[in-house]
Amino acid sequence: MITLKNIEKVYQTKTIETVALHNVNLHIPKGEFVSVMGPSGCGKSTLLNIMGLLDEPTNGIVEIDGNPISRYRDKELAHIRNQKIGFVFQSYHLINDLSVIDNVELPLLYRSGTSAAETRRLALTALEKVGLSARTKHYPTQLSGGQRQRVAIARALIGQPEIILADEPTGNLDSVMGEEIMNILLTLNREDGTTIVMVTHDENMAHKTERLIRFFDGQQVSDAKTTAYDYQKV
Amino acid sequence: MIRHLFKLIWNRKKSNFLLMTEIFFCFLVLFGVVSLIVYNVRNYTKPLGFEYDNVWLLTMRPSADSAALNHQNLEQAVQQVRAYPEVEYAALTNSNAPFAFSQMTDNLSYDNKRSTQADHYQVDDDYADVLQVQPSQGRWFGPEDNAAHHQPIVINREMQRQLFGEEEPLGKLIPQNDSVNYQVVGVVDHFRGYSEYSAERPAFFTRINLQQSDKSFWGELLIRVKPGTGIAFEEKMVREVSGIGKDWTLEVATLEKMRQNKSKLTMVPMIALGLVCGFLILNVALGLFGVLWYNISRRNGEIGLRRALGASANQVYRQFIGEVLVLATFGLLLGVAFAVQFPLLQVFEVESVVYFLALGISVVVIYILVVGCALYPSRQAAAIHPAIALHEE
Ligand SMILES: Nc1ncnc2c1ncn2[C@@H]1O[C@H](COP(=O)(O)OP(=O)(O)OP(=O)(O)O)[C@@H](O)[C@H]1O
Ligand SMILES: [Mg+2]
Repeated sequence: MITLKNIEKVYQTKTIETVALHNVNLHIPKGEFVSVMGPSGCGKSTLLNIMGLLDEPTNGIVEIDGNPISRYRDKELAHIRNQKIGFVFQSYHLINDLSVIDNVELPLLYRSGTSAAETRRLALTALEKVGLSARTKHYPTQLSGGQRQRVAIARALIGQPEIILADEPTGNLDSVMGEEIMNILLTLNREDGTTIVMVTHDENMAHKTERLIRFFDGQQVSDAKTTAYDYQKV
Repeated sequence: MIRHLFKLIWNRKKSNFLLMTEIFFCFLVLFGVVSLIVYNVRNYTKPLGFEYDNVWLLTMRPSADSAALNHQNLEQAVQQVRAYPEVEYAALTNSNAPFAFSQMTDNLSYDNKRSTQADHYQVDDDYADVLQVQPSQGRWFGPEDNAAHHQPIVINREMQRQLFGEEEPLGKLIPQNDSVNYQVVGVVDHFRGYSEYSAERPAFFTRINLQQSDKSFWGELLIRVKPGTGIAFEEKMVREVSGIGKDWTLEVATLEKMRQNKSKLTMVPMIALGLVCGFLILNVALGLFGVLWYNISRRNGEIGLRRALGASANQVYRQFIGEVLVLATFGLLLGVAFAVQFPLLQVFEVESVVYFLALGISVVVIYILVVGCALYPSRQAAAIHPAIALHEE
């Protein structure tokens, strides 16, 4: 699904040069639920941005579905993001002036050929999946953190993406709400076969996924199947 | 997408309220000034109904009280002026000569049904030749009117429209007072003597017959001179006429000069208003630019998010332009609802088309203005790198 080859990311500012990623090689097959862990500043978000085509690597090749991405124009990148990738962020990134359902509909605004009625129907289905059917007319500020993150997940999955990239989706939530979010993601992965890459600081969460990659200082330091994987396969 | 933008702006109406009011007021002021300009320009482009090139106005003001003597001198002076080879035609008129600061209006009614307030020009038979006024129907005054039973008048189309509508105007009688009637002998299509910028109003001409009205006096003589006639002739004429009317005060002005003075009267306030309006618009534009700029830098997170969800840079650009258009639309809807009352209620006596033209122009100008102000900030918004924008939140 996603392949990274010799990825190098260097941030160049006037005074310093930060190597955010160094020689990263990864293959994430279709349908896998991967977690990424590592200390703060080790390049996890950078990695996700590169996988999500929000940022370009300084060197190396990104392949989505076996197609190398390097020479796409902005419009084509936007199209791939819209069609194939769903994002979930630690700070939700909801638009506070739009109701829950309008927030969820956002990705389809950038997809031509979906009627307003169809969009509405898909948004309701997505909200149902995350258990928020009763909150469609609310505004984000009227919701709890866990609810907001569920709206964000509904928004990520309305376009039925093959990949969901989640950057610390439970980072701002207490353990109960974090658990709820994790269960939604696990269900998505198991039932719809969505490929998920999740950055987390929580070992427990990480061990619920099938594969755990650890980063340190911009480099992969370990990459292993978890016990959950063994459990699933049994 | 458009629905989405309307929703977004509507939900943000509190923070956008100031901008909308600003656009609303800017529109109203613009509408006022543009209405005035359209009104003037429309009038200016309509025919005057006469030719003023090479026409001079000789003003004669006697100081002696003897009406009989003044009348006698006047007859002699007119004869003298007409005799010059430099003069093609000369005609007496009352003080409302073209472009003069003088008006004379009469109330006339026809059949006790329709009435109008019309400009009244007293002129003699040569007036049509001096100003090259050509009746399009009927005729101008002539010696045949000496024996006329009614007092002959020539009217303009506007007066015909107001008094007779579609009826045949020639021969129609209009009571002047209890004993005398005016009778229409001719119609001219246009006559706007007051100013190039004034609207066409009902107007009619009555005939001056110097020989038949002894003791009467008319103090302005319109003179059509041969092209190229200059100051030397003017001096000679004034010298010789003052030899006839020894106590007269004489003044000569060209109609061209009088036209320029008259048009200043319209242009100066129009330019002043235009400048004030221009400054106001500049102010609004700068304010708008600042607010848009600020708003966009505040909405980094949203921009990053939209990019992540699949918006291209170009779509972000178009969204921000679209937003100001929607914003302006809200302000304009209110403004148009207000402005449209002018033609609907006929607040001033101005054709509705003037208002509708001004409305259209003002709407277009406001849209261009807001888009102009939004171009650069929107470009900045589109240029924001999504990863950085998302990171900053
Ligand atoms: N736009 C940028 N310009 C310069 N340096 C950057 C930029 N973005 C990230 N960095 C640097 O790159 C490195 C990796 O950042 P990144 O955000 O990927 O870390 P992270 O692993 O996600 O950290 P955290 O767990 O705190 O979110 C850090 O040292 C960071 O300072
Ligand atoms: Mg991070």
